[in-house]
Amino acid sequence: MSSVTTVRAGLPGRIILILLMIVTIVPFVSVLLTALHASGTYPSGVDLPETLHWENFVQAFQVADMGALLFSSAIIVLAVVPISMLISTMAGFALGHLRVPGHRIAFLAFVLGLTLPLEGIITPLYYQVRSMGLLNTRWAIILPLIGLYMPFAIVWMRAHFVNMPAEITEAARIDGASTWQLFWRVQVPLAKPALSSLGILLFLWTWNQFLLAIVLVDDPLKRTMAGALGAFQGQWGTNIPLLCAGALLILTPTLIVYLVFQRAFISALLEGSVKA
Amino acid sequence: MALAAVLGLSACAPGGTAATPSQGSTTFAGGTPTCGTKPVTMSAYFETGFPLPKALTDEFTKQHPNVTWNIREDQFAVITQNAARTLADSPPDLMRLPSIADLAKEGLLKNLDGYAKAFGWDEWPASQLEQLRVEKSGARGSGSLYAQGLNFSLTGVFYNKDLAKQAGITSTPTTLAEFDDALAKAKAKGITPIAQFNGGATGGLAFPLQQLMASYGSPTSINDWVFQKSGADIDTSTNQQAAQHLETWVKAGYFAKDVNSLDYSGMMSRFIGGKSLFIFDGDWESGNLDKQMAGKAGFFLMPPATAGGKQAAMSAPLTYGIAAGAKHADCAATFLNWVATDKTARSIDVKVGGSHPMGLADAYMPDVDSSTVTGQTLAAGAKVSKDNGAMDFIANATNAIYAKSWTPQLQSLVAGRVSADDLLKSVQSDYTSQIKQ
Amino acid sequence: MTGTMTTPEVGTPSTSASLRQERRRSTRRRFGREALIGWLFLLPATVFYLAFVLWPIISTINYSFYDWNGITPATFVGVQNYVALVTQPELLGSIVHAFELIVFFSLVPTALGLVIAATIRGISGSTLAGVARVVLFLPQIIPLVAAGIIWTWLLSTDGLVNQLLGAVGLGGVTRAWLGDFNWALPAVGVIGAWVLLGLCTLLLLAGMSKLDTSLSEAARLDGAGAIREFWSITAPLLKQEIGVCITVTVIAALASFDIIYISTQGGPGNSTMVPGLQIFYLAFTQREVGLASALAVALMVLVLAVVLPIQRVFRGTDQ
Repeated sequence: MSSVTTVRAGLPGRIILILLMIVTIVPFVSVLLTALHASGTYPSGVDLPETLHWENFVQAFQVADMGALLFSSAIIVLAVVPISMLISTMAGFALGHLRVPGHRIAFLAFVLGLTLPLEGIITPLYYQVRSMGLLNTRWAIILPLIGLYMPFAIVWMRAHFVNMPAEITEAARIDGASTWQLFWRVQVPLAKPALSSLGILLFLWTWNQFLLAIVLVDDPLKRTMAGALGAFQGQWGTNIPLLCAGALLILTPTLIVYLVFQRAFISALLEGSVKA
Repeated sequence: MALAAVLGLSACAPGGTAATPSQGSTTFAGGTPTCGTKPVTMSAYFETGFPLPKALTDEFTKQHPNVTWNIREDQFAVITQNAARTLADSPPDLMRLPSIADLAKEGLLKNLDGYAKAFGWDEWPASQLEQLRVEKSGARGSGSLYAQGLNFSLTGVFYNKDLAKQAGITSTPTTLAEFDDALAKAKAKGITPIAQFNGGATGGLAFPLQQLMASYGSPTSINDWVFQKSGADIDTSTNQQAAQHLETWVKAGYFAKDVNSLDYSGMMSRFIGGKSLFIFDGDWESGNLDKQMAGKAGFFLMPPATAGGKQAAMSAPLTYGIAAGAKHADCAATFLNWVATDKTARSIDVKVGGSHPMGLADAYMPDVDSSTVTGQTLAAGAKVSKDNGAMDFIANATNAIYAKSWTPQLQSLVAGRVSADDLLKSVQSDYTSQIKQ
Repeated sequence: MTGTMTTPEVGTPSTSASLRQERRRSTRRRFGREALIGWLFLLPATVFYLAFVLWPIISTINYSFYDWNGITPATFVGVQNYVALVTQPELLGSIVHAFELIVFFSLVPTALGLVIAATIRGISGSTLAGVARVVLFLPQIIPLVAAGIIWTWLLSTDGLVNQLLGAVGLGGVTRAWLGDFNWALPAVGVIGAWVLLGLCTLLLLAGMSKLDTSLSEAARLDGAGAIREFWSITAPLLKQEIGVCITVTVIAALASFDIIYISTQGGPGNSTMVPGLQIFYLAFTQREVGLASALAVALMVLVLAVVLPIQRVFRGTDQ
């Protein structure tokens, strides 16, 4: 790119970019300032209180039982993400690489689930989970989520396997590898980039899952982070500073993980939108 | 092929698989129920923002150390959404209840008749428990007892004494016309007359509307409507007058501009902060106001349309029930009885809760300074029972009437999108279709 | 959920025809045992998908023909629930609102994203742009519930939005945005636009960086203005990225729930009621499970009916 265009695009571009960043950041700042007001008061907009009430964060941490919340969300993520990744990779392998008989129909059936709005099936899911006796347990979130992730995860992994050259398989076959060995020893290691992006996306979606949590699990301590935040709002929504402090606290773990792995997150999200 | 089999299976009606909770017959066998002596952890579901239930359970544990409480709290609107699911799926021993008719009809609540007999609740003034009785048909007001009260509350008008003085209001209004006059005076002085909550899922203008209904008409017909008596209609001529009166207040700008986004605690913080002359609210705030606005807040019952007329108020037990599937129903019932009979509990009821305790008419009452808000609301309660003016809340008529009808309609009234006449017509038509189900 | 993704391209352009043929032959050779093993690989995913997606879809369709309160036995009512759907104004209204939200969730982020991406394209390699990528993605990382809580506060009577309006002399237009019949839906739309703008901008920017810069250089030399250059060169080549933006955001609009549940609960009146929230209320508060299911079926069909044509338009001729 010539230096002329860089200069031409430079200044307005920078200004617009900075404006956009301000629009993105200011809401968080406003919430932070509000969280520092005395608990139970009604502060206004962006307004620095005379004394900073950092103790709101301590109080929010205690009333929200953040430790238990983190634990609960972690359990749900640790169950949902690895299982989803494993079984969708197996299915993607069968559809994209082994091309089992009927793979086109099976693939189409999964593709159809891609656009499904969760609200469309939340009602029967409730009665189904209830008849399984799993309401108010973490299973009520874990099991349906795995099913719900299948369309995206399978399409994602299939796209990877479709592009793997057949020679790798042939070579492994000649060495006498079974299909499972071929999958586990040869193909899965090669799929690491696709798998790590998938893992990031599934982590984020699980952590932020709201509707399943509020319908299927009453106890906030058995919910996902987003579901717990919903409960926190339900209980403390009338105490604005405390609510703001709690919301920020609940955001913190994701923010930390995001800032540490930002590159991987951004490319996973962008790919996640386009590739599928 | 698998799909065909699945389709074949699904051709049956839903409902067979749903677990039916044990029917609300009394499981209590006889004698006097107790909490025993072994450690018991009671599961409870309370409303956020009100210290009374917590104060009572703490005191109960002090007196019965084997009983501890596992309490979940939500805002009332959230409890309304969750009630049926929570009662069916994780039955609490003690729960703050929204409208009980549907819940009782569907067998989700424990029938308390056995406890009433064992504890002698039948000897209390009948009107106290009337609203908590449900017929098999789902009509309320008579039938079996399905809930208890922690106390019974009463609504009216709270006012800020300083602002009243500023507006030149020298005495509490004794007729609606005087009330209108006071509102106009405040408005003219640039004081917000009423910052009533009406935002989100909380149609708080139902408070003034129902008070106006009682000023123009009789509480009996309103109760019939709330209790789903056959043929009951909310769209009557006196109720129309009431709705029109409310509409004139809206048009005159007596309500704060942003009532449609003001929630309950927003209203309280403005009133306490001196940004609203009046609010329509209940005596559950009396204790709170005596503490936070000591000497600066007052209370009066909604004035009648004509001088000397009878006065009415929404008066309802602070409704708590026991889930049909509760594990410790006996202990929960023991607690409810204790709340109405124990001296300390009754003091807490008045001093923390601000409302009149349940129980026998001549039961112990703590001394209350008559100049406090608590004193004024207790005196008002006596006047209402003399005038036979207790009404249940119009939002309690059916499970969905508040969220689906009153709230959106009242918000529309504020925005000038529905007329007073059409408001009542459309609520009545929703009511009819909801009862039919 | 912004995670719901677009329909993939069926077919594998990158695999050469000969390879494919060979593979097909080898597949046929080992049909019996090999196929069985392949199906075993497919089995766990299929079980979960059947149990927690397909079966509930079928149940929803089944429920939609019944009058059921979720507790007592249901009665068959035929298509009565669907009739109610098109005759009850508040149900139909919720669907209309979802379409109005598309303007904010889809058109605004895509259009604004295009403009912004085109403007900042020249500096996409700079440090500022690197920081911006991290910042602009923040709304995508946080739960929608949090976005709802944050913006409910910003849009309240004493919130930042009114504060800013007052500061620039527009005190007259301040209001309780989420409590105003005319403004609540656009206000909710603004929340959605805020969440989705960063994603769209970065998607489009990524698409632009793949474009051949010599094309635009050539256009510049021909004396084309920035705007003409954009419309005649940049936009057509970004067809696929634009399609992705629109698809993702349209689904987010039609299936919106979290933000509205937190910020307005459908009010004031029913002015922000959307199908997702209405289904939740109908099924779990009013307990009209049949009606909720009919609306759910309508929503699922609607999303497909809107997304498939978008896919055709933006993907069809691309390859």
